[in-house]
Amino acid sequence: MLTVRELVTAYGKIEALKGVSLDVAAGSITCLLGPNGAGKTTLMMTIAGVLRRRKGSIKFLESEISGLQPDSIVRRGIALVPENRLVFPSMTVLENLQAGAYQRKDPIEKDLDNVFARFPRLKERASQQAGTLSGGEQQMLAVGRALMSRPRLLLMDEPSLGLAPLVVEEIFRTIAELHRDGTTIFLVEQNAHMALKVAQHFFLMEQGRVSFSGNPGSLAEDEVIRRAYLGSAR
Amino acid sequence: MALLADLVQNTLDGIALGSTYALLALGFTLIFGVLRRANLAYGPAIMFGAYAATWASLNFQAGLLVLAVVAVSATVFAGAYVERLCFAPHRKGAAAAAMVASFALWMQLEELAMLAMPRHLYPFPALYEGGPLSLGPFSLRVEALAMLLAAIAVCLFLWKLLYATRFGIAVRAVIDDPRAAGLAGIDVPRIFMLVFALASAIGGIAGFLVAASQEQVTPMLGMWSTLKGMLAMMLGGLGSLPGAVLGGLALGLLEAHAHWFLGPQLRDFAAYLLLFALLALRPPWMNTRSAS
Amino acid sequence: MDEYALGVLTNIGLFSFVALSAYLLLLAGELSFGQQAFFGVGAYGAGIATAMLGLSLPLAILIAMLLGALAAALVGLPTLRLRGLYFAMATLAAAEMFRILFELLHWQVLVEGEPVGPDGTQGFRGIRWIFERGVEAEGFLAMVWTLLAAVLLLFFLVERSKLGATIRALGEDPALVGALGIDVDRFKLGIAAAAGALAALGGALFAHHNTYIEPRNFDIMLGVHSLAYALIGGLGTALGPLLGVVFDLGFLEASRVLQEYRMIVFGGLVALLLAWRPRGMLDERVVHWLKARFS
Repeated sequence: MLTVRELVTAYGKIEALKGVSLDVAAGSITCLLGPNGAGKTTLMMTIAGVLRRRKGSIKFLESEISGLQPDSIVRRGIALVPENRLVFPSMTVLENLQAGAYQRKDPIEKDLDNVFARFPRLKERASQQAGTLSGGEQQMLAVGRALMSRPRLLLMDEPSLGLAPLVVEEIFRTIAELHRDGTTIFLVEQNAHMALKVAQHFFLMEQGRVSFSGNPGSLAEDEVIRRAYLGSAR
Repeated sequence: MALLADLVQNTLDGIALGSTYALLALGFTLIFGVLRRANLAYGPAIMFGAYAATWASLNFQAGLLVLAVVAVSATVFAGAYVERLCFAPHRKGAAAAAMVASFALWMQLEELAMLAMPRHLYPFPALYEGGPLSLGPFSLRVEALAMLLAAIAVCLFLWKLLYATRFGIAVRAVIDDPRAAGLAGIDVPRIFMLVFALASAIGGIAGFLVAASQEQVTPMLGMWSTLKGMLAMMLGGLGSLPGAVLGGLALGLLEAHAHWFLGPQLRDFAAYLLLFALLALRPPWMNTRSAS
Repeated sequence: MDEYALGVLTNIGLFSFVALSAYLLLLAGELSFGQQAFFGVGAYGAGIATAMLGLSLPLAILIAMLLGALAAALVGLPTLRLRGLYFAMATLAAAEMFRILFELLHWQVLVEGEPVGPDGTQGFRGIRWIFERGVEAEGFLAMVWTLLAAVLLLFFLVERSKLGATIRALGEDPALVGALGIDVDRFKLGIAAAAGALAALGGALFAHHNTYIEPRNFDIMLGVHSLAYALIGGLGTALGPLLGVVFDLGFLEASRVLQEYRMIVFGGLVALLLAWRPRGMLDERVVHWLKARFS
């Protein structure tokens, strides 16, 4: 579904992505692991169109999407749940969701109902300002907002960041559910343990490059976690 | 008591004046809220619009409604020119370059208008031919009432636009967080352009009303609009639309009273002193975070 | 050299002082719309010193610079914590207050039977110290440019020193400067005072060149122009603001054909230039490249 080849993204002279190549298969949950500073968020932001790539290609459903503006990428069917959620703090929960559906010309009531069914707590707080929600609720809102655009591919950048363990479990249950309902998910996670439980395929990124690719069974779990958190043994 | 009578009359005058300032401040705030930049060419664009309407009135004997449309359209046109040249190229950079570029266009627009119409003063058709209304011992000019009604109408319109339409959600999303708005599928550059046009239109209305109330236009309109608009915007708290209205009204009231009791120079001094003091003291409604 | 060219060159020199004043603050990360106030303080101060108190020009200049520094500190102290547009608006408000004070200033003394001194909006005439001593236009031009050269030399020395690095650091990462153990507030105040003194120096010379000053000389236009000169010329070197002034006054003023359309051409050029080079013509990258080329 998503094909990234030799992607290079730089901040001035510093190359954050030094030639990343990976594939995300349709209908899968794919996970991107790696230590801090490996470039995972940069990769997500580049796919989502927020950052401009310097070299390389990103193909979604056979068409090239690198160089498109973020809103065009959403229109193609990719939605990103960004690191730190980035909800609209002064707008209500409902308005946040409506913002997520901005591209859509058709009625969105059913999608709103679905999001509220999936996240009952959001329904309770529908008229509350998003800035006053707890971390976990904001995460759910961010996911709900992304879902409102009916994405084929859902990108998630560190959904468990800063959340309590129970909430994290809830998030991952949701991820599994979304996958069951047919959404392809490409997930960046620090919490390698939880991620490997849901993912069918994973990539390991270190220092701007993909250093390993495989299924959860192919590398002993300890080794992956060690490399994900600490980087390769020197 | 003569003093009380003065205070009431000044307050009436001040509300009228403040309505104009409120409109100007609203335009500035819309642009600042969405772009996080101050547009120094806002006033000159308004002057450009007022001059275009003046030119139309001198050459075509057009009716007031037509002149209003001309003023608004010309302001929107000038505003679009400024947006394309000063703000579109500097999206990702520091605000300084955009602001200085807008200053450069301020000079350009002003000189364009003055070259086309070089006199220091041009007559403009009156908004209302009759005299002021009497409310007991007090008088209220009909033009002032019109200005107040226009300000109220614009506020209501903006409120509906921002809180009851899909477009409004997009605008508020961009005001909150342009990057997140893009990720949600909002065409952020287009929102910038549309908000700029909206702000220009509001400015055009203000310019038309000022010209028609005073029955004249002068080259000072550009600088005046920019200064008053920015002052009012800052008084009410940068980036807040309700604040812009309150700031405009407050400025109008302050000026009306100060003018009466202290004269024109101290009137201006009082306004600047108030702003400076507020900035120095930083009361809670001036969230001094998001300004550059 | 003909009188017109002399006038243009002198003006370039004079306005370079206030442009450099804005530049200094820009380096430290602050946008000021108000340096014209200190230009005015210097002008009025020096004018009063020579025309009304009978002091010599060098002494008058020193007094003017002191007054400029004090005025800048007075404005700088309450605005220390302000940044960005807030700071810019505060400087604008302060400068306008100064201008209104100049409009309200009526103080005249009798000099050889004639009243001399600031007369509110009517201005301040009779600042004739240099003409009474037979200093010709060329001589004054030399004086202005010598002082300007000295200032530029000072800037170059500072840019190479730790002080210069600290100033630029303040512009890029104020938290870092604080972490280095420097009292950021006192440092900023010092920079503000220096910028004020610099503008006042220009103002003092301006008053004596023109022999007549009025409050309108020190309005917002001058302030925003100074900022524009600094930003257009480039923030990479002290020659940047100078280049900005030359660009406006020199190029367009001298080409008299364009004079009527000066602002139209200048305005458009500036906007285009900034779109292409947001940090000015001589920005840091160009300066680095030039230095590498020539060393």
